[in-house]
Amino acid sequence: MNIIPILQLQSNLIASIQTELTDEQALAFQSELLEKNSALNTKGIIIDVSMLDVIDSYMAKVLTDLAKMIKLQGSKAVLSGVQPAVASTLVDMGMKLNSIETFLSLDSAFLYLTKEQSGKTKK
Amino acid sequence: MFDETIPIKATKDIVIVRQKGRELAILYSFSKAEQTRFATALSELTRNVLTYAESGTCSFLVKSANRKSIIIARIVDHGPGISDIKLALQDGYSGGSGLGLGLPGAKRLVHSFDIESSPGYTQIDISISRTIR
Ligand SMILES: Nc1ncnc2c1ncn2[C@@H]1O[C@H](COP(=O)(O)OP(=O)(O)O)[C@@H](O)[C@H]1O
Ligand SMILES: [Mg+2]
Repeated sequence: MNIIPILQLQSNLIASIQTELTDEQALAFQSELLEKNSALNTKGIIIDVSMLDVIDSYMAKVLTDLAKMIKLQGSKAVLSGVQPAVASTLVDMGMKLNSIETFLSLDSAFLYLTKEQSGKTKK
Repeated sequence: MFDETIPIKATKDIVIVRQKGRELAILYSFSKAEQTRFATALSELTRNVLTYAESGTCSFLVKSANRKSIIIARIVDHGPGISDIKLALQDGYSGGSGLGLGLPGAKRLVHSFDIESSPGYTQIDISISRTIR
């Protein structure tokens, strides 16, 4: 069921969701990331959703829960590449991705995490 | 007449239904925003069928008239029905353990939204429309 490649780059994990996920795949992805995060002792996780055409309330909950749990594990998960149409749909649905920071691109998310990890970020 | 009846039995069908909806929206030149809104509404309603009624169907109908294209999706199940539709449509109300945003959210995402429900039957029609220029 491992259909999402999870790559390690320095002390960060990058997971790029390539296809639409069924609920079971989304949950499997969630637990795999949690396990990898513990095992590899990573500091940051970027979940790239630029290929996702739909983030419904279920997926939104999976992602925000994941961010909360990663935080409890002492790391930080961020989202990159939320499509504009997806972002506005989330707003209209009344769903908030409050507990997870989002970035326009993988690049900017990575830059943010690495800066933060070296303690140079001022927010 | 509705065609393209898609069975809703497993979570993979949620993906199938919303992809079908998006395909139709693309075919009839709806904007990317409209495609996404329609697909997301379908995702919410299809998941409700699985959660509350176990199984059901989704069928699509396209009408072109008076320089308008309308895509209608009809989601039907034979579950317990929605006893208080007004309550179910309130933001944040969930009879289960959900976020309670599925029905009210889906309603905001589409152009029309009609529920008919009685014990043993729920039918929800949603549509998007656009003027052909
Ligand atoms: N197809 C259905 N059959 C029976 N009850 C339903 C159906 N769809 C929705 N409901 C009821 O309406 C409530 C609100 O639905 P929704 O807005 O999607 O929120 P959620 O699914 O998060 O609870 C549900 O909790 C459920 O009690
Ligand atoms: Mg729901």
